[in-house]
Amino acid sequence: MTLIRHRVTHTVNRLRSIGLAGLSGIAVGIALTVLPITEVEAKSKFVFANSSAYDNLDPHIVFDVGRVASRINLYDGLLRWEDNPPQLVNWLAESYSISADGKAYTFVLRKGAKFHDGSPIEASDVVYSMERTIALKKGASALFAGVVEPGTTKALDAQTVEFHLSQASAIFLATVPEIHVVNTDLVKKHEKDGDWGTAWLSSHEAGSGSYELKRYDPAIGFTAARFADHFMPWGKKYYDEIDFRTVVEINSRVLGLMKGDFQGTDGYLPQDQIIRLKAADDIAIYEEESMRIFYAAVHNGRAPMNDINFRKALSYSFDYDGFITNILSGSVARDPVPLPNNIWGAPKDVKGYTYDLEKAKEHLAMVKEPQRELVIGVLAGYNQSEQAAALLQNGLSKIGIKSKLLIEPWPVVSNKMRDEAQMYDLVFLWKSTYYADPNNWVGEMYNSSKIGSRNNSWYSNPEVDKLLDEALISTDMKVRAANYEKAATMVMEDAAGIFVYNTKWFGPFNKSVQGVRFCPIGNGQEVRWMYPKG
Amino acid sequence: MKFLVLVVNRCLWFLPTVLGLMVITFTISHLIPADPIAAAAGENATAEQIAALRVKFGLDQPIYVQLYRYVLAVAQGDFGISLYTQRPIVFDIATRLPATLELTFVAVLIAATLGIPLGVLSATHRNSPLDHVLRVITVSGLAIAAFWLAILFQLLFAMKLGWTPLQGRVDGWGPDSVTGFFLIDAVLMGDLEILQDVAAHMILPAATLAFPAMATIVRFTRAGVLEAINSNYVMYEEAMGFPRRIIVWKYVLRNALIGTVTQIGLIFGILIANGVVVEAVFDWPGLGLYAVSSILQSDYNGIMAFAIIAGVIFIVVNLLVDITHGLIDPRESR
Repeated sequence: MTLIRHRVTHTVNRLRSIGLAGLSGIAVGIALTVLPITEVEAKSKFVFANSSAYDNLDPHIVFDVGRVASRINLYDGLLRWEDNPPQLVNWLAESYSISADGKAYTFVLRKGAKFHDGSPIEASDVVYSMERTIALKKGASALFAGVVEPGTTKALDAQTVEFHLSQASAIFLATVPEIHVVNTDLVKKHEKDGDWGTAWLSSHEAGSGSYELKRYDPAIGFTAARFADHFMPWGKKYYDEIDFRTVVEINSRVLGLMKGDFQGTDGYLPQDQIIRLKAADDIAIYEEESMRIFYAAVHNGRAPMNDINFRKALSYSFDYDGFITNILSGSVARDPVPLPNNIWGAPKDVKGYTYDLEKAKEHLAMVKEPQRELVIGVLAGYNQSEQAAALLQNGLSKIGIKSKLLIEPWPVVSNKMRDEAQMYDLVFLWKSTYYADPNNWVGEMYNSSKIGSRNNSWYSNPEVDKLLDEALISTDMKVRAANYEKAATMVMEDAAGIFVYNTKWFGPFNKSVQGVRFCPIGNGQEVRWMYPKG
Repeated sequence: MKFLVLVVNRCLWFLPTVLGLMVITFTISHLIPADPIAAAAGENATAEQIAALRVKFGLDQPIYVQLYRYVLAVAQGDFGISLYTQRPIVFDIATRLPATLELTFVAVLIAATLGIPLGVLSATHRNSPLDHVLRVITVSGLAIAAFWLAILFQLLFAMKLGWTPLQGRVDGWGPDSVTGFFLIDAVLMGDLEILQDVAAHMILPAATLAFPAMATIVRFTRAGVLEAINSNYVMYEEAMGFPRRIIVWKYVLRNALIGTVTQIGLIFGILIANGVVVEAVFDWPGLGLYAVSSILQSDYNGIMAFAIIAGVIFIVVNLLVDITHGLIDPRESR
C-alpha cells in the first residue's frame, strides 16, 4: 500500500512538473507573440484564397471549376482558352490541321518545350496523356467518350501527334485544352499496381506549366515557383511564386483580402461582400459576364410538367426581375435561354418569359391533368438555389399551385437527377463552363441522347435533337451557330426549363495585382499574365 | 486494487465500444439517399463510368459484405480510399489530426488554467462583485455562439488592433513536420521565430474554443468548492487554525476538482466537435473541415474514419479522466 501511495505521489509530482512545463511553454508562446513579428515573404508572391479544397492535383481526375488553378498553372495543353468571350489559342501546339472528313486532327508541338524536370515534351507524352485520361474514366474523360477510342492516338514523330476520332465531332477542338500533358516517364516511374500513377500524381505534379510545384498539403493548398524555361515567353514582369490556399469561409476570404494576407479570391462572392470590398481602399473588382447559367431543371417526363401549358405557367410564375434586381442586386445578367448570353450561337433579341401571373393562369386553365403539390429541389448550402425556389413557390401559390421545398446536399441531388422516378419536379441549379461551345449547355442539357445523364429534364424533341446532332458534326460555323440559336429558342419556347440568369464574375484583387485576364474556363486564375505593380 | 479493476474494465470495453461505433456509423452513412460515387465521378460522368467506380470501391456488394470488409480493413489500420480525394483516408487524416489535437489541447489547457482558479475565487467570494462579474462572463461564455465570437475576435484583434494574425496555422508552411504539432516542431527545430508565429496564430482560435469551456469549468469548480467548503473537515481545519489559503487551495480544491475533471474530459470531446466551426472561420487545416467536406460529399469512408477516430479520442480521454480521478481521490485507488 505504501509502495502504491509512493508511486501515486510520484506520478502526481510528475504530472505537476509536466503541467508546469506545459503552462510555461504556453506562457512563453503567448509572451513571444507580444514581440513584433518579422515578416519573411518572398518577393512578388501572389496568394489566392480559394473556396474549394485542392484535395487532388491529378489533372486527369480533377475537372471542376473550383480547382482549376492547379491545372492551368502547373500543366499545359495543346490549346488553351483565353479571355472573354473565350478564344481558343495555340499553346503547346504551334499549329494543327483537320482532315477533310473531320475525323483526323494533327497537332505539331512547339520545339524546345520542356517539362519541369528539363526533359523535352514529345508527341508520345500527348498520346500517354490522352490514353491516361480515357483509362481513368474520371475528370474530363466523359468529353472524349465515344469520340476518341483507346489506342487510336498516334505519335507520328517526336513533334507530331494525330488524333483519330471515331466520328466527326465539331466540339473536339473545344475539348482539347482539357488534355493536360503529363511527363510520361515521371508518371510511369510512380505507377503502382497499374494505377496510372494516380496515387502519386494526386499529391505531386509532372507537368510543364508556367509554375512548378514546390509544396503541397491537401489541407492547406499548394505553392509553386515560376518556371523560367516555359515555352511561352514571359513578360517583363511576373510573379515569382504563387500560393493557392483553401479558405472555406467567405468572411475569412474577404477579411484576408482586405488585410492584405491574400492578393485575390474567387469572383462569385455574395453581392454584399462585393459591396464591402468595393468600399475598401486597396481592392479592385474586375467585372465580367461569365458563362454559368442559373436555371430550374423541370421534369418534362412527368405529369403535369409533361404538358407545355403547365410548364409555361411555371415559367410565367417566376419573378425574374425581383430575383435579379432585389435579391441579387443586379449582379447577374438576365438570360432567357439555355445558353450564356455571351457565347456565339446564343439567340439575340429573345425576350423570354416574364413574371406575368395572368398569363400563367391562362396557361394553367388549359392544363387537363389534375393539379398536385410540386416538389421543388434545393441545393443545400447554396442560398440562391433556396431563394429562387422560395420565390417560385410564392408565385405558384398565387396561381393556386401548391409546392414544397426539398433541401438536400449536392450528392443527393445529383443522384436523384439521374433517376427518372426520383428526379424532383423541378430543381434550381447552375450549369458551368467545361468547354466553351454551345453544346456544353443546350446540347448536353436537352439532347434526348443525354437523357438520364446530362439531360436531367427528360426533355425530348426530335426537331431539337436534329439541330443539335447536326451542329455536333458540322464544321461550318455558320450552320452550327444557326442550329444552336434555333435549338435554344425552341427549348425556351417549350418552357423545358426556367431560365433565369447568366452569372457575372466580380474578381476581387489587391490593387497591386496587374494584368488580370479573365476567361470563364480559367476563372481569372491563370497567374502567368499577372504581375505586381511597380 | 479497485482503481486497477476500473482501468482494466474500461480497457476491456474499448473494443466493443469502437465496434459498436463502427456499426452505427457505417449503417447511418449508408442509409443516406445519396450517391457519393456519382458525385465523385463528376457532373459529366457517364453511367458506365459511375458503374465502374462503384465496383472499384466495392459499393456494388451487399451492405453486410461491405461492413464485414470494412471492419477487417480498419482492424489493420486501413480506412480505405477517399471517394473524393482518391487518397488513402489514413493519409488525409494524418495531415489534419495533429492540427485539431494541438488546437484542442491548447484550448483545454487555457480553459483549465484560467477556469479552475476563477472558479475557486468565485466560490470564495460568493455573492461579491467579483462573483457577479464572473457569473456574467461565464453565462456569456456558455451563451455566445462560437461562430459569432470567432468573427468578433477577428474583427477586433486582427483587423482593428492588428495584434494577431487573421487566420491560418502559420505564415507560409511552418516548421518541418516531425510530430505535426507545430508548437512542438518549432521547439524541436529551435526556431523561436516560427514558435512565435505559430503561437500568434494559435491565440484567436484557441481563445474562441477556450471561452465556453472555461465558463463550464468555472461553474463546476465554483459549485464543487462551495460544496466542499461547507464540509465538517473544513470546519475542523479552520478550528485547528489552518490558514484559509491553505485550506482552500490544498484541501478543498482537491475534493472539488473531481466534478471539474470529469467535465474537462467531456469538454475535450465537445471541443473537437466545436472545432468544425472554429476551423472554418480561422482557416485552421484540421479534421473538422475534413469531416464537413466528407459529409457534404457523402464520402462514406471519410465520415466513418472521422467518427471512429473522434470516438477513440473521446474514449481515451475519458479513460485518462478515470485515471486522474484515482490520482486525485485516494478512495478510488483503494
